[in-house]
Amino acid sequence: MGAALRRRVSRARAREALDRTTAPLERVALPLLAVVTAGLLGVLFYYPVATVLVDAVVEGGTLTGGPLAAVLGDGFYTGRVLGFTALQALLSTLLSVVLGLPGAWVLARFEFRGRDTLRSVTMVPFVVPSVLVAAAFYATFGASGTLNAALGALGLPELDLLPSLGAILVAHAFYNAPLVARVVTAAWESVDAGAVETARSLGASPRRAFRDVVAPQLLPAVLMGATLTFVFTFASFAIPLALGGAQFATIEVFIYAARQQLEYGRAASLAAVETGVSLSLMALYLRYEREQSAQRRESRSLRRRPLVPDAWTRERVVSRLAVAGYAAVVGLVFLAPLASMLYASVSVDGRLTLDAYRFLLERQATGARFQVKPFPAVVNSLLFGAATLAVALPMGVAMGVLTTRRFRGRWVVDALSMAPLAVSGIVVGLGLLRGLVFGVEAFGYRFTVAGALAVVAAHAVAAYPFVVRTVAPPLDRLDRSLVESARALGASRVRTLLDVELPLVWPGVIAGAAFAFAISIGEFDATVILAEGGGTYTMPVAVERFIGRRLGPATAMGTVLLAVTAASFVVIERVGGEFRG
Amino acid sequence: MTDTNARSRRRFLRAVGAGGVAALAGCSAEQTDDGTATTGAGEGTTEPAGTTTGEATASMADTLVVATSPPFVDAPSTSPGAWLKEEFESEFDATLVYQTPDSELNYYIERVVQGVEFEADVYVGLDTGQLIDVDGKRGEGEFTDPLFAEAGELEGLSAVRDGLRFDPQSRAVPLDTGYVSLVWNATMDGGEFVAPETFEELTSDEFAGDLIAQNPTTSTTGEAFMLHTIDRFGADGYLDYWQRLQDNGVTVLGEWSDSYSAYLNEEAPMIVSYSTDQVFASAEDQDLQKHQIRFLNDQGYANPEGMARFADSDAPRLAEAFMEFMLRPETQAGIAQRNVAFPAIADAPLPEDYGQYAKEPPESVTFTYDELEANLDTWTDEWARRFAGG
Repeated sequence: MGAALRRRVSRARAREALDRTTAPLERVALPLLAVVTAGLLGVLFYYPVATVLVDAVVEGGTLTGGPLAAVLGDGFYTGRVLGFTALQALLSTLLSVVLGLPGAWVLARFEFRGRDTLRSVTMVPFVVPSVLVAAAFYATFGASGTLNAALGALGLPELDLLPSLGAILVAHAFYNAPLVARVVTAAWESVDAGAVETARSLGASPRRAFRDVVAPQLLPAVLMGATLTFVFTFASFAIPLALGGAQFATIEVFIYAARQQLEYGRAASLAAVETGVSLSLMALYLRYEREQSAQRRESRSLRRRPLVPDAWTRERVVSRLAVAGYAAVVGLVFLAPLASMLYASVSVDGRLTLDAYRFLLERQATGARFQVKPFPAVVNSLLFGAATLAVALPMGVAMGVLTTRRFRGRWVVDALSMAPLAVSGIVVGLGLLRGLVFGVEAFGYRFTVAGALAVVAAHAVAAYPFVVRTVAPPLDRLDRSLVESARALGASRVRTLLDVELPLVWPGVIAGAAFAFAISIGEFDATVILAEGGGTYTMPVAVERFIGRRLGPATAMGTVLLAVTAASFVVIERVGGEFRG
Repeated sequence: MTDTNARSRRRFLRAVGAGGVAALAGCSAEQTDDGTATTGAGEGTTEPAGTTTGEATASMADTLVVATSPPFVDAPSTSPGAWLKEEFESEFDATLVYQTPDSELNYYIERVVQGVEFEADVYVGLDTGQLIDVDGKRGEGEFTDPLFAEAGELEGLSAVRDGLRFDPQSRAVPLDTGYVSLVWNATMDGGEFVAPETFEELTSDEFAGDLIAQNPTTSTTGEAFMLHTIDRFGADGYLDYWQRLQDNGVTVLGEWSDSYSAYLNEEAPMIVSYSTDQVFASAEDQDLQKHQIRFLNDQGYANPEGMARFADSDAPRLAEAFMEFMLRPETQAGIAQRNVAFPAIADAPLPEDYGQYAKEPPESVTFTYDELEANLDTWTDEWARRFAGG
């Protein structure tokens, strides 16, 4: 056992002696959290979703399976729609990985000013409302957009990029490449420098050491990022509608249309098919993740190289050129659309103006009680985000610990707890309405669940799977003897977790926290449905309300959303960094 | 049920409305087996059910719950909600409370199917398609009794323009109408662009790649434009026409807002949108050359909107008073200007220059309730199978 570890383990034991009064609580904390998680999942996810999916097989109170059979037997859905949906998801995933991996490499392997901040704000694109992304893409890559203006100025031929399948893929990468980059960065930062040094001292070349030591530790994170990206883009809806045109309609578009036409049987059946595909993929990934059982004791991160080296060698020049090239791509794919959104918020017909921000202030000052105002939207978003973190982090860590234990059928529990990621947002929304807002009648009373607490709980249910996925794999790879030693020395399970295990997997915890916050900030459907009376709207809701013929008000609100979110990410990582054990 | 016995619940409602949502409400339980079914959780006693007496104002409930879509009360440009509330409350001794569920009328349909009560008294802003949805769902789940009541003899109803009464059962009372047309940008092609005048010309080479439309399955304007092509080419011919549009490079986006931002970014010189486009453009000081209106074949597709009273309303008389208020010429003019639409009655006192920017087509086209009820799903579905899905 390393010296640092020995210190941790004995500290856990010392604290245990001090905290004897809290010991009984600590003993039951983990199981209790698991039970609470299961309860929340049941009430806020499984039950509501079941009230909708049942329409796929029940007609008029009788189990017929009719609607599901009709969809499965319809070549249009099972062939064209499903085929296209899977194809675009696959291509989007590939593009997101290709664009995300170099980001992880830069963030994890180079030291430069602002690296921490840059890493903190990686996830910002994840929270931009899709309607703004679509508008920004037209402003940037459209026929009369910035890119073509630049090409024209250089005397180059203009490009007709929109709408197209390519535009859908790039927009999906805009959302998901940061996700890939973030999870892989966390994994890279957890790679043990000692193992790499050992390999090098045994004569391995840097390339060989990367291939044999580093890459195997990154692969699970890459595959997880890819799986999440596939699941998200498989259920994508607004982006294909806005940037692809009708011929590129995904299965979620048909679920939406069926819901609009009140064809619940068809909506539920299509959603069941969609969920089936996503969950199967998720289960496959989880099985793979389980088989990775490299054991690790100590974590000393790899030392990062300065981005601007003291002396230049050929290898250094090549790698810095690669970084520069990647920076250019990032500028085009991520920064240019964001910049054009900012520009849209301060311009009308090419004139610079602050009208849009004046609109926000005016709405704040004079808006009617039943209208959406900017400031409460910011406050509500932050409160929901913070509360979601407070609920989702313990839930995620508890489930992470629980699922690292080996028991029969573990992958089923694992897959079920990941299901919130895999079910159509439209179905979840309808289910929350039916199951919670309308409630259940029993004993002469109607029990309903709505309001701010319900919103937080729904956000937490949507967010905690991310925490599980960023925390469980590194926990699983920890050497079990560490935990056993601490326990043998008298530390409770929770103490051991807090003092020994979590500090060793801290990058994963922080990444999970960033995800959880991002999910809460970006969430729309559950928020508007559960905040029934309209008093608890958030920033994305305000953006949606401010969409009109003009882009100004919505983009101005979007800019506020971006600024608030970016600042929050920085705070989360700073505070998180200080808590590291 | 009379208007008076609902007062206590309405006081409760108003209290909730005033503070937004009861801040941290998590779960709540409300008694359901109460005969009157109007007691709010934790509220005081229900007043004894009295019979209505004397003059209307004396016996009317003190709160009217108006259900509508969010943009009716909260659009970034202009919306009639706040003005209506103020006008109504200044004249009637009652409070107007808005309910704006995100899924609009579907929210209430869901409620009746599931057998869950709601407080709304009137729905404002429903169209033919939504009415068909309501009637199509009747008979499912707990939805047995009618959702909407017949309007009956309302003062001002006779002034409603012919051709706008879209409900054969006279539940929905027309409120206003809009027309779907082409909006085009005369500054494109170096200032040379001129929109075509007919559906036929629209598919000619000259206009290849020049039109942005919307998907009829996800957008109202998209549906209206598809219906217009069906009116023009028939149920047997519209798909062929769309094939020609497709071959000519039409861009079909999902939602109106996405397509309009593409249009503003000059992705194409024409878009399917509303004939009131210049009202916004002039209010925002924009170049009207970029907001020209074209009625293909001199026609616009009319999308009348109406209001209807919920059959279960416990403030039926106040609801009727509200609907009559809405049909008054001054209210009609006020709504039309703030909702940027056209009044449902002929003699609303609009400012003289209103027609300068809000264009009405020489001829309006629309399908009746019966035609849509029999065909709309099939038409939309056939369109989607031909032009959507990979």
